[in-house]
Amino acid sequence: MTKILFSDKLDKCVERWKSAGLTVIGPVQRTNISTYAAVDHAAELEFGLVLPDRSIKDLFFPQSEPMLRYTIKKESINTEECLPPAGPRIIFGARPCDASGMAIDDPLFGWDYKDEYWFQRRNESVIVTIACTKADDFCMCTSLEMSPDSTKGSDILLRPLAGNKGWQVDELTDRGREAFRTIADFLHESSEPLAPSAVVENKFDLDACVTWLKNPENFESRFWKEISMRCIGCASCTYLCPTCHCFDIQDEGDTYTGIRRKNWDSCSFALFTMHTSGHNPRSTQSARWRQRIMHKFNYFPGKFSVNSCSGCGRCSRQCPVDMGITETLQEISKLSL
Amino acid sequence: MKIVARHDEAPGVKTMRLEFQDAADHEFFKETFRTGMFGLYGVYGEGESTFCVASPETRKDYIECTFRQSGRVTSALANADIGDLITFRGPYGNRFPIEEFHGKNLLFISGGIALPPTRSVIWSCLDQREKFGKVTIVYGARTVADLVYKHELDEWQKRSDVDLVLTVDPGGESPDWKNRIGFVPTVLEEAAPSPDNCIAVICGPPIMIKFTLISLKKLGFDESNVFTTLENRMKCGLGKCGRCNVGSVYVCKEGPVFTAAEVSRMPASDL
Repeated sequence: MTKILFSDKLDKCVERWKSAGLTVIGPVQRTNISTYAAVDHAAELEFGLVLPDRSIKDLFFPQSEPMLRYTIKKESINTEECLPPAGPRIIFGARPCDASGMAIDDPLFGWDYKDEYWFQRRNESVIVTIACTKADDFCMCTSLEMSPDSTKGSDILLRPLAGNKGWQVDELTDRGREAFRTIADFLHESSEPLAPSAVVENKFDLDACVTWLKNPENFESRFWKEISMRCIGCASCTYLCPTCHCFDIQDEGDTYTGIRRKNWDSCSFALFTMHTSGHNPRSTQSARWRQRIMHKFNYFPGKFSVNSCSGCGRCSRQCPVDMGITETLQEISKLSL
Repeated sequence: MKIVARHDEAPGVKTMRLEFQDAADHEFFKETFRTGMFGLYGVYGEGESTFCVASPETRKDYIECTFRQSGRVTSALANADIGDLITFRGPYGNRFPIEEFHGKNLLFISGGIALPPTRSVIWSCLDQREKFGKVTIVYGARTVADLVYKHELDEWQKRSDVDLVLTVDPGGESPDWKNRIGFVPTVLEEAAPSPDNCIAVICGPPIMIKFTLISLKKLGFDESNVFTTLENRMKCGLGKCGRCNVGSVYVCKEGPVFTAAEVSRMPASDL
């Protein structure tokens, strides 16, 4: 016997969570893009997607957010810190790759200086993940030591029942248990057949790739130029990536009042590393793509003992020129044979 | 922080002296600042720029910074007047391990606008001169006008306990220039300081560092006795924003001060 949440009870759950003060967020299909957004009713949630175009990173690390407001008067400067709007949230229907992406970035935002913007949102969010029953050609979680029902980063894991009837509930954390206690009367104790899990084929040999990347001789390999020749440096891959975390800090306003903002930035951009003198350490697109791959599979794990990739495949799926991490690591797998 | 003094060093290059407005901030600075650290200097409405703290750890009543007017933030800083308030975040990063230099000869090598970080170390040592051996400073710029801290160069030149070698790039000399003409690595090799019991501190544009390291090797310097500071583009200074890293090293956290041995382990083409 396990806890079951039937689909027809979900709207009542959404209502209950809302009346308990939680903002309910889930996958939604907008006109041109699918994303995670706040909803009022369960009917707005779109569970048929392999995964939304945009990741849940946006909910923890928005594309642009104010850090402080300033007002300058004759003899004084007043500043007011802008922390994220407070309030508990439940993210219902995240994918395992998105949930694990947030856990991957925790050590980065937490090492040495603790990023309040990130952790306030992390602490106020319950992540309810739905295991995948379908995948597409770009999914690569299984190549990254994860699976369509990975629990990493999730507070609750829901396993879909056969026939879209609902979900089997696996409570993983106290935060998850607490959120589901508020809807306890909508849960059933029974045994229901589960829908078959998605099949994600193994796409590359991660260990072989990492060994190749760690060999200093390969830093100057022709491979980097060849694989990145068609990269147009648009940064879609980094923006849609659940784990890419680079940002810029810019002021917006006039001499007397304005906002200092944190905006997403990308290692794909030439300006990202350009010195004032004009010298640019990563002056070519191939150096920039090499940096991205090295950072994800060599530098980041060296520092935080985890790859900075959760295998969602958005970088390849949304790339306008059909390149991404999958293609790159597949090629590296071949090189290391 | 309040600008209490400022002056022109060279065309487009200014030095500002800043004083703390908040006693607690000043106390924190006094406790944490060591030579080699950097800060983010800003003007609200324009943004922040990263420069070293150019004043030494032996003088913590104020912060001095030297910068070239180049973009939006540095233009706003350059236009700020005495009495104006600007922002400072820091001090961040690691430091030159000056205690380890005690009893040793010191060789400072610097080029152009890279004298400010070196100057912080120079004064930190000169302010406790008795703790160190021979002090040699090799400094070069493209032209005579581009030399910064001219008043301090005069002072160092007059001191009997400092050996100053000044040079300008060929073509950059003025009619009354009495010092060397030639690139820093060449002039360094001519001066040929002994590597025995000597620590070298070098700071300059990437191209100067590259060739100076070769010259130091020729002179017999061990890579672990050569220190430099990397001046990468930075935004957060806190090891998060992702742009300053060279290989796996976050320059803002693990640097900006590195030994040449550490630098040689970094991917050269990403420097």
